Amino acid sequence: MSLKSERRGIHVDQSELLCKKGCGYYGNSAWQGFCSKCWREEYQKARQRQIQEDWELAERLQREEEEAFASSQSSQGAQSLTFSKFEGKKTNEKSRKVTTVKKFFSASSRGGPKKVAQEKTLKQGQLGRERNTDNLLRDLKEIFAPAWELASPSEEIQEAKAASPSINRQASLETDRVSKEFIEFLKTFHKTGQEIYKQTKMFLEAMHQKREFSIEEQSECTQDFYQHVAERLQTRGKVPPEKMEKAMDQIEKYIMTRLYKHVFCPETTDDEKKDLAVQKRIRALHWVTPQMLCVPVNEEIPEVSDMVVKAITDIIEMDSKRVPRDKLACITKCSKHIFNAIKITKNEPASADDFLPTLIYIVLKGNPPRLQSNIQYITRFCNPSRLMTGEDGYYFTNLCCAVAFIEKLDAQSLNLSQEDFDRYMSGQSSPKKPESEPWAPDACLGVQQMYKNLDLLSQLNERQERLMSQAKKLEKDLIDWTDGIAKEVQDIVEKYPLEIKPPSQPLAAIDSENVENDKLPPPLQPQVYAG
Amino acid sequence: MAAAAGGGGGGGAGASGGRAYSFKVVLLGEGCVGKTSLVLRYCENKFNDKHITTLQASFLTKKLNIGGKRVNLAIWDTAGQERFHALGPIYYRDSNGAILVYDITDEDSFQKVKNWVKELRKMLGNEICLCIVGNKIDLEKERHVSVQEAETYAESVGAKHYHTSAKQNKGIEELFLDLCKRMIETAQVDERAKGNGSSQQGMARRGVQIIDDEPQGQSSGGCCSSG
Repeated sequence: MSLKSERRGIHVDQSELLCKKGCGYYGNSAWQGFCSKCWREEYQKARQRQIQEDWELAERLQREEEEAFASSQSSQGAQSLTFSKFEGKKTNEKSRKVTTVKKFFSASSRGGPKKVAQEKTLKQGQLGRERNTDNLLRDLKEIFAPAWELASPSEEIQEAKAASPSINRQASLETDRVSKEFIEFLKTFHKTGQEIYKQTKMFLEAMHQKREFSIEEQSECTQDFYQHVAERLQTRGKVPPEKMEKAMDQIEKYIMTRLYKHVFCPETTDDEKKDLAVQKRIRALHWVTPQMLCVPVNEEIPEVSDMVVKAITDIIEMDSKRVPRDKLACITKCSKHIFNAIKITKNEPASADDFLPTLIYIVLKGNPPRLQSNIQYITRFCNPSRLMTGEDGYYFTNLCCAVAFIEKLDAQSLNLSQEDFDRYMSGQSSPKKPESEPWAPDACLGVQQMYKNLDLLSQLNERQERLMSQAKKLEKDLIDWTDGIAKEVQDIVEKYPLEIKPPSQPLAAIDSENVENDKLPPPLQPQVYAG
Repeated sequence: MAAAAGGGGGGGAGASGGRAYSFKVVLLGEGCVGKTSLVLRYCENKFNDKHITTLQASFLTKKLNIGGKRVNLAIWDTAGQERFHALGPIYYRDSNGAILVYDITDEDSFQKVKNWVKELRKMLGNEICLCIVGNKIDLEKERHVSVQEAETYAESVGAKHYHTSAKQNKGIEELFLDLCKRMIETAQVDERAKGNGSSQQGMARRGVQIIDDEPQGQSSGGCCSSG
């Protein structure tokens, strides 16, 4: 048995489960990793007596009941029947006389050590509380003890029946944590808490048996359960309305964490197919622009694009949550970011006319995983009171609308001609002008800015080069020009060799060589003859 | 609050025990008829105000006390653009009341209201309280929908007709108060009819259903979609 459990304990490290003392039994983190026995030895010797007294009392009451069943067991060993012993002898039939009710339920299935450990948690909690209460409450024990103990057989039945290792008991640490939280939470409700615990346990057991049923039936059972528990809390528990919501949330959290694996996107439905269809559809619609949807959000404002990114993150995160309410919370967070984006852009409160197109745009941009499955899961298993009237319900409804719109979207809903729509859908062309922007429109702001800067740089570079080449040309031109001028001048000079003399000088020069110049008669003077 | 909501669509069955009624009211109407202004005026008493604190006007709640009965009103705005018309049923399922708003200066918007009424009656029967609201009566001079016509029509479909002005804060308080009273009545009748076996209600109508019986060809184009 223990070997088998070891093999099946796939989610939790085996060593974590065993008692720290190494006695071979399973430990429990509630006892700081010790098994029940060692824990008791280590820390609870002092409490032993007190518990024993309680036990005796319970025993006495039990005995009276047992007599009716003509029990043949020797109930004299009761005093020595401490908790640790009880746990230790889990296979010992006669040590179980205290849990008569349990015996009837679980005769066919002796639980594994881990399970017993959990039983013990419950019992311990129960006893711990009782120790501190008065006698009246002790008397009540008789009534409530079976309620707690009923829990275990249901688990045992589950375990015994389950062929797969994915049964709740071996479920992830998260389940354990949620269970612990749930039990802690219920303790604040005292008597009603026990009642709730019993109810949820019975419900989980019933749900386990209904695993083969259609998902609609399972959903109906869950919804009935919510209603039933809510009524019980109100009428019997007299839980005040302000506490009701919290209690219902806790119950939902607990049961849905446990059921999630089996009821989220179950194989019996075509949820997965629908998921893929929506995903494909959204991918095919990648070309839809905010303008086509009339989205009142200007993503060029950095704060707005920040909000858009956050909204997308939230809607994608939805898939990672297990509890319907947590999924709803993601949708609500996403919606708030959308409202912020609209508010920044338009500076007035967003109406549904603004909100829905933006949500559609966000869904198209984000393409959240398993959208249909999530919607179906929330619809089927969320507490209806939350879904129908609350704010979360409103946003969820809008998401449903967005998905319905995307599925049915056609040319008309985008104000496009049928031809354009067909062309875009077939991928033949894209509504963006090819030369417009080299970056994808959905790139984040930083990348967009980078692209813009790169663009600018390359432009500057070009201009610089042009400038340089022009400058060089100018330089060359200048040199050529000077050279040209010089050459021209040279040519002219060569062509017309020049001797510059004063205009009178040449005569004098000629004459000066003539020594006998003085001796010459004066030049003839022109004579004017009258006539 | 959650307690009464547990009664689901019936609007707080079991509210007789001093608990609050929870009602869901949808706001239907074409794009620019002033749905948002109407509801903002009602919940915040503001009109085109720069100091509106609310982030959004699409989902608003209001707590009322009518004759000692506590009422939690959840007002769901819907997208009024023609392209979203087919999504109506998703919005208005499980609602206790519907406010159908038209603009008295816009004949077309009144026509839309008629379509909504037809659809609502078909989908939800007489369980839903209908209010037909002619908004913008401050623009009386430009009226294109006659009072006579509107009121006769409302009566013929079992709806109540109101005239309001979000701008001048006229008729809005009365509209919501009246609607609440009628919804309480309906809920009480419901309660009596169902007796104690009311626990199953709200279950049957959980499925989402989209019926698109109106070909979307008749887009009016007369009104801008989103400001």
